Amino acid sequence: MTRLLQLIGLAAVLALSLLFAVVAGDYAPWYFAWIVGTVMIVLIATCGAVLFETQETSRADGRDAGF
Amino acid sequence: MDHGVVDLSRLQFALTALYHFQFVPLTLGMTFLLAAMETVYVITGKQIYKDMTQFWGKLFGINFAIGVATGLTMEFEFGTNWSMYSHFMGDVFGAPLAIEGMMAFFLESTFVGLMFFGWNRLSRGGHLAVTYLVALGSNLSALWILVANGFMQDPVGATFNPDTMRMEFTNFAALVFSEDAQAKFVHTSIAGFVTGAMFVMGISAYYMLRKQHREFAARSFRMAALFGVISSLAVVTLGDALGRLDYLVQPTKLAAMEGIWHTTTPPSAPWTAFAIPDDVAQKNYAEINIPYVLGPLVAHSFTTAVPGIIDLEQKAKVDTVNGIKAVMALHQYSEDKDPAALATFRQYEQTMGYGFLAQRYAPDQDLSKLTADNLPAVLDRTARETIPNVFVEFWGFRLMVACGFAFVVVFALGAYYSLRNKLETQRWLLRASMWAIPLPIIACEYGWIVAENGRQPWTVYGWLPTYMSASSHTVGYMIFSLIGFVLLYSAFIAAELYLMFKFARLGPTEHAAPKPVEGAGPATFSRPGYAEKSWQ
Repeated sequence: MTRLLQLIGLAAVLALSLLFAVVAGDYAPWYFAWIVGTVMIVLIATCGAVLFETQETSRADGRDAGF
Repeated sequence: MDHGVVDLSRLQFALTALYHFQFVPLTLGMTFLLAAMETVYVITGKQIYKDMTQFWGKLFGINFAIGVATGLTMEFEFGTNWSMYSHFMGDVFGAPLAIEGMMAFFLESTFVGLMFFGWNRLSRGGHLAVTYLVALGSNLSALWILVANGFMQDPVGATFNPDTMRMEFTNFAALVFSEDAQAKFVHTSIAGFVTGAMFVMGISAYYMLRKQHREFAARSFRMAALFGVISSLAVVTLGDALGRLDYLVQPTKLAAMEGIWHTTTPPSAPWTAFAIPDDVAQKNYAEINIPYVLGPLVAHSFTTAVPGIIDLEQKAKVDTVNGIKAVMALHQYSEDKDPAALATFRQYEQTMGYGFLAQRYAPDQDLSKLTADNLPAVLDRTARETIPNVFVEFWGFRLMVACGFAFVVVFALGAYYSLRNKLETQRWLLRASMWAIPLPIIACEYGWIVAENGRQPWTVYGWLPTYMSASSHTVGYMIFSLIGFVLLYSAFIAAELYLMFKFARLGPTEHAAPKPVEGAGPATFSRPGYAEKSWQ
């Protein structure tokens, strides 16, 4: 049940985001690009750090740590 | 109006703006990079990411404090040195400036305090939210300044009221959502991201070269390189958008940026990669041209001609003739409120600024003294005046663009070698990253020079000439205050550099090795202090 509610919540967020994107795309395309781009930049940097930890763990385990 | 005072007012504002903007990009970029580091800390619970956030946050704090101090004076300068501008544009310019002040002092500064002093007082999630709010606040603060600047570049959302002799708001949304404001905000904000990323990457490279704080530096380098590679690609894309916007709304700026003296012939119009523009002779020397590139680059079209400076001057002459009619009708209307004069003014209103510009060269600065004999000379001088300094614009733009592409390369190589875990073998790249630290700041300065030099001779493009905008101070007063600013701001720069070098050299705080926990598995990190927190 909790998983279902999470799914519905995420679907609602997605629908609202799409609505926001449509409106912002007409009136504020660059502001919208900034919001999406900034989130993406932060996420990519964050993922890079998480990947670093995975590589370190692999290296500590004696596995190939290269990318 | 004493032109020496106008030039000194311009010099003073340019210097204070350029000084101030040595601090701003780092603030804009570092906040989101700190937020990314803290996000990893909250997700993984690894102490090293908290240390990273705190250490880089300390350097951010030094920069933030001095940046705020240098920015305060600029808001007062509008009133003290640009009183005619403030009167003419105050209704429009005041609102975004006031909102910027609210953002900077109420949102950004409040949460900066919580960010620095709230580590032991807030939950992990709460502190992370505060860090994101600092990042959002600093960038939203910049947004409102750039909305105000967007109006100076492309005045929309306001009309001139001949009864009050001021520009007045008609549409706030048009001002906020002006394409110039949007593109400039995103370009400036992301340029700040590039600056922050290069700062962290460069100092991390310094540690790696000296084999100090290696685990801290490798993680910081990885995050900054990835943060920077996307940011630098975005900043180049946004630069292209701004260039196209200049083509549409500020053709004189675009022509000066590209050194285009004669209207181009599509589709083979060349893009000038190198030239020595001569403003007096109105030609380029030592040109290196690449054919078929200019149209797609500037107008995003192979079939559209790009107007050249000499043709734009001819168009300015027509606008000036109409502008003279508008200003003379305005004078008449202000004296006797004659409806016929108002109707004439409304007919030529859009060219009013050119009439003001011509006034500078009219006998005794009186347009009613223009005759058939002296009018052609006044039109020639006014038309020449409408073109910004081409040499400065051309080279300022090229140096900024060259830096932008260099950042893409440095960040891409940094990200590649970091992902391959081969960074420490590429000492040349580490050295390049270290020496590249000041380059984004220099590129940002060039960006502002291109934007504001290209706007000349206007404070508000097409409406209010710069020479009319200044206050009626004396030259002595301006020189005195200019020297004061230079001394004070140089002291700020010296303090910033001293503190930055001091704390960067000291590096992050070393942690004492914790006592091993009985039965615990091997630590993930070789530096014991960076092991996962016990609450994990």
